[in-house]
Amino acid sequence: MWRLNAVRHKAGRQGSDLEEFKFKRRAHEKELRRARKDSKLVSKILLLNDDENEEDGTMDTLASDQVLELFKMVCQGRDLVKKEADLRALRKALRSPSAHLVLIRQQSSIAILVTNLRGPSPQCRLEAVRCLHELSQSPHSEVDSWRLRQATPYLITFISGQSPKFTELCLYTLGNMCPDSENVRNILLAQGIIPALNSCIQIHRTNLAVVEAVGFTLSQLISANYVTGRIIPNVDNGALVAQGTLLRCTSLLVTLGGAVAKGSIEEGMELLIWPLLRCVGNLLLSGPLGALQPQLNDSRLLAALCAFPQAFLQTHPALARESVWVLNNLTSAAADSSVFCSALFYLNLVPVLIQLLPFSHGINIMVLRVLGNIAHQGREYCLHLAQAGLLPALCATLKMADPEVVTFSLEVLGQLVASDPQLAEEFVRQSGLPVLEAIQYSNQETIRLRAKHLLEHHLPPHCTVDTSASP
Amino acid sequence: MLQPELIQLLTASDLVDLRIDAIPKLQVGFSPGSLFSSFTSQDREAKLTFTFIPHQILLNKDHEFFEDGDIHRHLYLQNLSTCPVYDSPTARQCEFRCHISGCSQVFSTVEEYEHHYNTLHRHMCSSCQRSLPSARLLDIHIQEWHDSLFSILAERQDMYQCLVEGCSLKFRTREQRKDHMIKIHQYPSDFMFDKAKRIKKINIANKNRQQKGTSMEVSMSGSEPEDVCQVLSDQPEEEEYMELNHSLEPAHHKPTETTAQQRETLLQVSIYFKSQMAHYFLHGAPHDSNVFPLDLQSMCNDPECIH
Repeated sequence: MWRLNAVRHKAGRQGSDLEEFKFKRRAHEKELRRARKDSKLVSKILLLNDDENEEDGTMDTLASDQVLELFKMVCQGRDLVKKEADLRALRKALRSPSAHLVLIRQQSSIAILVTNLRGPSPQCRLEAVRCLHELSQSPHSEVDSWRLRQATPYLITFISGQSPKFTELCLYTLGNMCPDSENVRNILLAQGIIPALNSCIQIHRTNLAVVEAVGFTLSQLISANYVTGRIIPNVDNGALVAQGTLLRCTSLLVTLGGAVAKGSIEEGMELLIWPLLRCVGNLLLSGPLGALQPQLNDSRLLAALCAFPQAFLQTHPALARESVWVLNNLTSAAADSSVFCSALFYLNLVPVLIQLLPFSHGINIMVLRVLGNIAHQGREYCLHLAQAGLLPALCATLKMADPEVVTFSLEVLGQLVASDPQLAEEFVRQSGLPVLEAIQYSNQETIRLRAKHLLEHHLPPHCTVDTSASP
Repeated sequence: MLQPELIQLLTASDLVDLRIDAIPKLQVGFSPGSLFSSFTSQDREAKLTFTFIPHQILLNKDHEFFEDGDIHRHLYLQNLSTCPVYDSPTARQCEFRCHISGCSQVFSTVEEYEHHYNTLHRHMCSSCQRSLPSARLLDIHIQEWHDSLFSILAERQDMYQCLVEGCSLKFRTREQRKDHMIKIHQYPSDFMFDKAKRIKKINIANKNRQQKGTSMEVSMSGSEPEDVCQVLSDQPEEEEYMELNHSLEPAHHKPTETTAQQRETLLQVSIYFKSQMAHYFLHGAPHDSNVFPLDLQSMCNDPECIH
C-alpha cells in the first residue's frame, strides 16, 4: 500500500516514545469501536505533502494574529509569486488545528481560498486546495463541510483534469466532506460528482494514487445508509455479478492466496483481502449458487480461503473468521454445494480446517458450520470427514467451555455417527462415549438432549465396547 | 507457516487443471436411519433435537462480525495502523470446561481437564453417586452393594472377587478376600499411601452411623487437607468430594476455579480415599451398606489392619 510509507514516516515523527504511541492507539481504537456501535464510524484522510519531510520541530503553532496576518497578505497580494509563498505559509499554519478556527471565523476566508483555487496560477491553485484540504479534515465541528461548500463545483470540475497531484488533493478533500451532512452530499450529487469520478478513473487509471483516491471518495459518498438508493439505483447484486464482479474478486483472492503461499505477506495486504472476502461472501447469495458456479470454477479459490486463516490467525483472527464465513456460503447451498464440498476433500483442505478448531473469536464456530454443511451432503461426505480426522477433533471440541461450540460439535457428531455405523464405532474407539456421558450432566438442556439422543439411538451400548480408556 | 500442500495448490502452474467442475463429485444422500433421512417417529424426534441446517449467511456491513476489520481499516486511514502487531487481538485457544453440573471448573488444556475428570468424575455409581477408582472396581461395587441377587447368591457360593485385576479367585466372605489379598498379593494391611494425612482419632463413629441423610456438601475453598478429611468423616466414605449430588440442577454450592494448590490437595485426598476404598472392600461395613467407617481406627477390629 503506497500510503503506508508516508504513514510510517508520520508515525515516526510523532514521537520517540513507542509506549506513548501504543497507548494513544489503544485509546483511539476504543473510540473507534464506540463510534462504530453508534453507526458513526467515519474517517477523514490527511494527505502528507512532500515538503513535510522536515522535522516537526520547525512548525510551531502560530498565534491567531499571525494567522490573520498571513491571510490578509493572501487577500491583498497581487504578485502571484509572492501570493504563492503566502498561501504556502498559510497552509503550513493550518497544519495546526487551532488555526482552522481562526480562519473559518474570518469573513470571506473560504471565498478567498476559492478565488485562488480557480485562479490563473497553478501553484496558487495547488496551495489553495491544500488549505482547503487541511480544513476538510478539521477536528473542529465548527469547520464542517457546509462551510466549505463554495469550493465543491471547482473541486468536482478539477477531478476530471490532468494533473495527478492536484486531482488527488481535490478527491481527498471531497471525500472528507462527504460524511458530514446529507445536504453536502446532495449538492455533490447534483453537481455531478459521479460522472466526474467516472471520467477521473478513465483518465488516471494507470495512476494508483489517484485511483485509490477515487475509491476513497466514492466509499465515503455511499457509506451513509440513506444515500445508497440515490447513488446506486437499480444496482443489485445480480447486476454486479452479471458484470463479472464475482469473477474478478475471486481471481484477486486467488492471486493474493498465491502471494500468501509464497510467504510474501506485505504489510497492509490484509487491507485488500478483507473487503474482497466481504464482497465475495455476500455476492454468493445473489442468486442460486449453481448459476454462479462458472464464476467460481477456480479450485485455488478454496485453497486461498483455507490459506488466509492459517496465515493470519495470529495477526488478524477476524480475517480468519471472515474467510471461513465465505467457505460457509460456498458449502451451504444444498445440492449446488456438493461440488465445492467434494473439492475440499479432493484438495485435502479439510485437515487445514480441522486445525482451526481450537481457536475462539468465532473461528471454531464458523469452521464447525462448514464441517456441518459438508456432513449434511451425505454418507460419503461423512466418511471422508472421518478419514480426515474429524472424530478425535470433535472429542476435544466437545469439552470446550463455550456452549455454542459444544452444541455445534454435537450437531456435526450427530450427523457423522448417524450416517454410518462404522463411524459410530470409530467414535467409541476414540473414547468418545465418556465425553458424551459427561455432557449429560451439563446444565444446558439443549446440550444434554443432543448428547442423550446420540447415546440412546445412534451409539452402541456400553457393554460391547471397552470404555476403560480416559476421555 | 502454511502447509506445503497448500503452497503447492496456490502456486500451481497453469498447466494443471484447476477447474472445480473437473473434480469428481462424491455421491450425495444418506442411507435410511440417519438423522434426517426418513419419517419414523425417532427421526421426528431427531429433527426437533438437532436443529442445525446448512444455510448461507448474508451479513450487513454494520454487522458486529465485521467490527474488527472495520477498526483495522480506520486505524490505517487515520495513520495509526503502523503499530507493531503484538498489540492487536490474537486468536485465543478455547478453554475447556468440566460439564458436570455444579462443577464448572475451567482448564486451559485438554490434559488438565481430563486429569480432573478422571480423578473426580469417572466410574461413578449411579445408585449411590460414589466415584470408584476404576471401571472394574465400579462393577464390583455395583455387584456387591446394589445387586439384591448378590447377597442371596453369596450365602451359597463364593462371590467376593479378588480385587486384583487378573486374579480370578472368589471367596465366600470379605474377610477371606482380604486375607487372600494380603497373603497372596502382598497388599499391606494398612492401605494408606500417606500416613501424614490420616485423620485424628475422633469418636465420630457413632455419629456416623446415626447420620445417614446428612447433606453431602463440601467446602472446597482454602481448606487444609486435614480439614477436608475431617469434614468428610461426618459422612459415608466417599471418593467423590466435590459435588456429591450428581443431579442435573446446579448445586447450591458453586465451586469456583480452584488454585493449583487446592487441586494438589484434592489429589492427595483422592489418593487417600483410594486406600480407604480398598479398606472398605476388605472389611466391609458392619452395619449398613451406606455407611462407611472413615475412622478406621475405631471401627476396624482386624488385628492385622493397622491404622
